[in-house]
Formats: sequence, C-alpha cells, structure tokens
Amino acid sequence: MNVLVVDDFATMRKIVKNVLKQIGIESVVEAENGKMALDVLKKESIDLIISDWIMPEMTGIDFLKACKSDETIKNIPFLMVTAEAQKGCIMEAIKSGVDNYIVKPFTPDKLQSAIEKAKAKIGK
Amino acid sequence: MDIKYINPFIIAAQTVFKTMLGISAEMGKPALKNANRTSGDVTGIMGLVGDKKGTVAISLREAGARFVYKTLVGEECDSINQDVVDAIGEITNIISGQARKEFEKNDINLNAAIPMVIVGKEVEMNFITKIPIISLPFYFSLDNDNSKEKEVIYIDFSFE
Repeated sequence: MNVLVVDDFATMRKIVKNVLKQIGIESVVEAENGKMALDVLKKESIDLIISDWIMPEMTGIDFLKACKSDETIKNIPFLMVTAEAQKGCIMEAIKSGVDNYIVKPFTPDKLQSAIEKAKAKIGK
Repeated sequence: MDIKYINPFIIAAQTVFKTMLGISAEMGKPALKNANRTSGDVTGIMGLVGDKKGTVAISLREAGARFVYKTLVGEECDSINQDVVDAIGEITNIISGQARKEFEKNDINLNAAIPMVIVGKEVEMNFITKIPIISLPFYFSLDNDNSKEKEVIYIDFSFE
C-alpha cells in the first residue's frame, strides 16, 4: 500500500509515518499541503490519503473537495487527521465526502481501524 | 484553584502519555510554583482563552524530551535540535486539545492556540493569569527500564 501523508508540519508527517510503520505500512509519500499533494497524485499511484486539516496554500478541506470532485482520484480512501479543537469541523469534512477521520491522540490500532473503515466505505 | 480546573489537565496528560508515548506516568505531589520559570530543559507553552483563561506548560528534561521524540518519530537524536522542539510542540498541542475536551464536559469552552516552545532551564515564562501556578510532576521510566533513574514531565498551569 502506497500512502500519501499530507501535513505542513514535518514532525507530524514523521509521527504519522512512524505509526504507519508500526502497522506494517512502509511505503509513504509526503506532501506539505493540498496543492503539493495534488501534484503528487498526478504522478504517483496512491492507495490511501492521510491529510491534516490546517495547512497553508491549500487546506485539508479544500484538498478533500478537490480530490472528491476529480473522477480520476475520488476513489482513493481519504482519512482526515484532526486535533480535538477542530472537532466542530468534522461535519464539514463528512459533507465534503471524507471517508473517515481520526482525532489526535491516536494509537497504531486506532489508526489501523480508521484506515480499514475508510477503505471499506469506498469499497476497497 | 477549583479542582474542576485541575482534573482536565491530569486526565489529558495521562491519556496522551499512555496513547502517544506508551507510558503509564505516575503523578507526584502537586506543588505551587513561586516563580514563572520553566521547570525542565524544553518547555511547550499554550495559552487557553474562551469561557476562562489560562496557560499550560509541558516541561521536560533533555533525556525526557529526546525520549518523546524517539517514541513519536521512531528515530534517535543526541541533542535538543529543531526536530525535538517540534515534537514537544506537537505533544503540547495534543495535551492541550485533550484538556479542552475535558473542559467541555464541564461546559467550559476554550479556543485553540499555537504552542510555543522554549529551550533552556529556568527561563522566565509569561503566564496570562494572576493566580499561582500549579505544577504537576509525572514520573516515568525511560524505555520501561525501572533500574534507571525516573524521568519527569511537568505540567505547569494556571487557570482562572
């Protein structure tokens, strides 16, 4: 599985990568924001997107909307990572077609379960 | 300070230590701090405003900060570098987010802020409250090795 991790904060990308490694996922591509992530999606075959919410250039919600309105990538499971403070924004993400979300703090088991649910929602 | 302002920080700290760091930290005796100075070598500070106002600081000694980085990121580091500083900022963000969730249960709504990280011992901090700062020490063993000296994470806060 090739996972695209989108977060403007390099340490958070490393943290997500480390948790993914603990559940056996080592193939990870990184992007700093939604705009850069869309460029990655044009060039690489991605099986799962894990995105932060607040990012410069293009936010997580705008990136989600862009993904779900593009026929070529809309079937890639999209998992949103949020901080507790952004909980109110989850409804907006659901309306925009997010396949699942996970609230920090999370364990490897919780992330794995969130990934499975996101994949199941999209029928993968 | 009312106990309902203290418990959210205890619950948040223990939840995040267990979930993100895999440690069961034992809380020591709470103390009142006489000076607005950092307790450890690396300190993440977060202002909280909304229905109430306050400041929370998560402070670690160097070994503890490097342990947090190693546990979160999966890489060793020899000193306090920018990556370690960012990791402490992130753990501060997550603890404060969890504390806000606990405050919500008491109908106290607080807004998010961006954490700031200070590197250095006994550095003066600016708390936005007038009341004394409560310092909660949480003790844990590095790498689950009970033979080593215990490390400590201080949660210092003032809330009114």
